[in-house]
Amino acid sequence: MAYTPKQVFLNGIWQDNPIYRQVLGICSTLAVTNLLANTLFMCFGLIFTTALSNLTISLLRDYTPKRIRMIIQVLIIACYVMMVDIFIKALAPDIHRFIGPYVGLIITNCIIMGRAEAFASQNKPLLSLFDGIASGVGYSLVLIFIASIREPLGFGSILGITLPARDLWWHSWIIMVMPPGAFFMLGMFTWFARRWLTKEVKR
Amino acid sequence: MKKTSPAYILGFMIIICTVFGTAISSVHYATLNMLIKNEKLHKNRSICRVFNLSVTGASADAFQKAIDDNISHEQVTYEGRTWEVYKQKETGNIGFVFSGTGFWDRISGIIILSADLSKIVNIQFLDQKETPGLGARIEEGWFIDQFKGISIAWDQPADKRIIVGPAPIPSAKNRVDAITGATQTSLALMKFLNSELEAFRAVIKERGEKKMSEVPSPSLE
Repeated sequence: MAYTPKQVFLNGIWQDNPIYRQVLGICSTLAVTNLLANTLFMCFGLIFTTALSNLTISLLRDYTPKRIRMIIQVLIIACYVMMVDIFIKALAPDIHRFIGPYVGLIITNCIIMGRAEAFASQNKPLLSLFDGIASGVGYSLVLIFIASIREPLGFGSILGITLPARDLWWHSWIIMVMPPGAFFMLGMFTWFARRWLTKEVKR
Repeated sequence: MKKTSPAYILGFMIIICTVFGTAISSVHYATLNMLIKNEKLHKNRSICRVFNLSVTGASADAFQKAIDDNISHEQVTYEGRTWEVYKQKETGNIGFVFSGTGFWDRISGIIILSADLSKIVNIQFLDQKETPGLGARIEEGWFIDQFKGISIAWDQPADKRIIVGPAPIPSAKNRVDAITGATQTSLALMKFLNSELEAFRAVIKERGEKKMSEVPSPSLE
């Protein structure tokens, strides 16, 4: 089936969103969404890596032996993740001190490997680049939404800025800071999104 | 040549590894000076913060000048380990770079003790890779502030001179609160801080700058 760039973009962000439709990248969704600032940098790293790894894997698809394609994909993904890590460390060292451990974990994000195997290895470079960007943006939108709820509920702050007179009206929910809080949020969001936001494909 | 032949696969892997390895090396090399500069700036900023030095400006040179004017620095080698020791000229407060294993990875920082080693004056963390939002909160102000002025219970067992978390006597002068949801990081911090204090005391004793008889043994309340 031939895709148009618009279809690819809308599918990645909406109809085939990697989080609530494909259920990929859940590990980092649970881990980083307790703080919005961490989430934003994680999203930047993921969009960069997904887009460029999709493009590179697509460019090499006709030359890559099938038997070693996954090794090659991991190598390419790891290379871009290391670049993201170095860039953040050089340009935003203070941010890197907070999210450094998670940047390395982008390598293990299922979305990147999933899109490389399912799309980039079978489609043209430009479409694959769009698909990578769209999947990254789709992932980012969900994470930002979840983080925008978890951080105020868990820490009483948003982007590290304490909410006004927080102590007078709010007692922080520690569970929202911890992974179980992300499970609840993700479960509710997935139910909401699949019930009202997207159309189920009838087979 | 067939794509399935071993020679093609081997050649392809070598080319890919060479190209991407070179790309990573180039990016690393291009940013090396920035990384070294950032690391030095971070360390100098932490030293100024932990000694509470006033700095005019925010440049690397401003931090370096404040350190040069107020702090004496030396490296002391003892039992195969090199200690970075800092001494504040005005107060005599003495500090050292500590490190130990946290929950995930190594944690390092600078701790400042009073001249008689009886109290912790301040503490700052240089590097840590604990869980963001949980263990990584050891760098937050409220946690660090707890250490300011607490006593070191030299008369207690070596692993209880500083207590992070619950203690039989909650109001003990050598205790700070742990971080909710980061119990393992808090326990690891307590373990290696006590170990580092014990080792540093031996360094000071060896150098003859302090006699242990002079070190007071604060009583616990």
